[in-house]
Amino acid sequence: MVMKEATAGKMAGAAAADQAAATRGDWGWLTARLISLGIVLGAWEIYGRLFLSPAVFTYPTAIARAFFQLTVSGELAAAAAQSFIVLFIGWLSGILLGIPVGLLMARFRLVERSLDTYVNALYATPTVALVPLIINWFGFTTLARIVIVFLFAVFPVLINTFQGVRNVEPNLIEVARSFCSSESRLWGDVVLPSALPYIVAGLRLAIGRALVGLVVAELFTAIAGFGGIIERSTSAIRYDRMMVPVAILMIVGVGLTEGLRALERWLAPWTARRA
Amino acid sequence: MAVLTKANAIRVASIILTLLVWEYVGRRVNPILFTYPVAIVGAFYELIITGELFGFLLQSLQVLIYGFTAAVVIGILLGVIVGRFAAAEYAIDLQVSALYSTPTVALVPLIVLWLGFKVPAKTFVVFLFCVFPILINTQQGVRAVDRGLLEVARSFCSSERQLWKDLVIPSALPFIVAGIRLAIGRGLVGMVIAEFYTSITGLGYMIVRYANNFETAKLFVPIVVLALLGILLTEAVKHIEARIAPWRRLREEA
Repeated sequence: MVMKEATAGKMAGAAAADQAAATRGDWGWLTARLISLGIVLGAWEIYGRLFLSPAVFTYPTAIARAFFQLTVSGELAAAAAQSFIVLFIGWLSGILLGIPVGLLMARFRLVERSLDTYVNALYATPTVALVPLIINWFGFTTLARIVIVFLFAVFPVLINTFQGVRNVEPNLIEVARSFCSSESRLWGDVVLPSALPYIVAGLRLAIGRALVGLVVAELFTAIAGFGGIIERSTSAIRYDRMMVPVAILMIVGVGLTEGLRALERWLAPWTARRA
Repeated sequence: MAVLTKANAIRVASIILTLLVWEYVGRRVNPILFTYPVAIVGAFYELIITGELFGFLLQSLQVLIYGFTAAVVIGILLGVIVGRFAAAEYAIDLQVSALYSTPTVALVPLIVLWLGFKVPAKTFVVFLFCVFPILINTQQGVRAVDRGLLEVARSFCSSERQLWKDLVIPSALPFIVAGIRLAIGRGLVGMVIAEFYTSITGLGYMIVRYANNFETAKLFVPIVVLALLGILLTEAVKHIEARIAPWRRLREEA
């Protein structure tokens, strides 16, 4: 008992030391990263101004100027509105279909066996290959872009939901059954809570893929959204303008992924600690 | 592993039912918009006989192999360096994670302008799609080496080279192969997108051309080939993964 306490004390001490080191490390890490980023941007700026013709590439301050111009002219806001609506509706419909189908496949063997071949095959297919077909079907419309984003987003949600339900601790289900838990309470109290972290991880994977789908759809149709600006600016050899949506997409990608990661940590702190 | 299980019977029944319904509905829809299984089989036969399919498939595979190989070599090398030296990690990890979360497709028009419409541009696109999962997984694999084992190796005066050969590389290997599995799927996507943009070669070009001509039956041929390629490559890497690190699979199945 005493020895146990001593070990525990030592471990707590070690943990505290680790924590302190981690905090110190965090600051050093942040500074090092910022310095590195500053060097990259500075070198790019100097090299771009001195040696690169605007027909080859651009440099950071020119991109900032283009960002300002596109904001003032209202082009950027219009493109952002078009892109985010498509992204959001497509992602949401992916969730609204993916979660119920995933649950049904996990609960009923007949549903699983009828659908799993298609789900696996479609998930392994590069979804981009279907983009021209979908555009032939729906035309150069908002609906076509929503369908494309949906197709990119739905499978990670579906597959993660399925896996999450399947990975519920069998003992817990057995205990719940033994205590005569009804099907609905079993789902509400045991299955859904333990599947939740998987589902949120699926949403996180889905948003990354949805962004890819959005850009592919917009580049392909070349008339709307961020992809439209990229495509038009590239044809006009205006790289400063072209890089504005690229930078925004980069920030949106990192932001949404990190946001969902934070949600994951909040919903299921134990998975974060394990990883 | 019996093939004739009830589960497989349901799967086969479901596939046959889908094909029949597709055939029935497909024949009643305008062929400009949709097609049916028998027509796709006919298109397959035609494209194989003319040699078109294999020609385009070879062009695609060439780009995929070049880009993927470059990504494996550079990704593992950089991952090992970043995993071993903290300074290297601080220097590049912000850029790496930003590029990894950016939809790489947004950079494709730029790459095409820089590198042209031929094999180098497409190879570079595939490389960009593949390299980050390999790099990040290698780094994590190197990081995840058991500290106790490292300490033992150091205590027994293992040289740096021996340490890597006997301990670090073997324990990082499963991570690296998992990274390669993620990369191959992304590589296929990159290949198709690059071919959409650069045109005139590969399966991606076949898709764009038949879509523009509204030859929907032929359009499905490269789509089916890409689906098969995706399944085949992923399964192959999974197989390698199971051989290299069988304990992982055991853990997953348990």
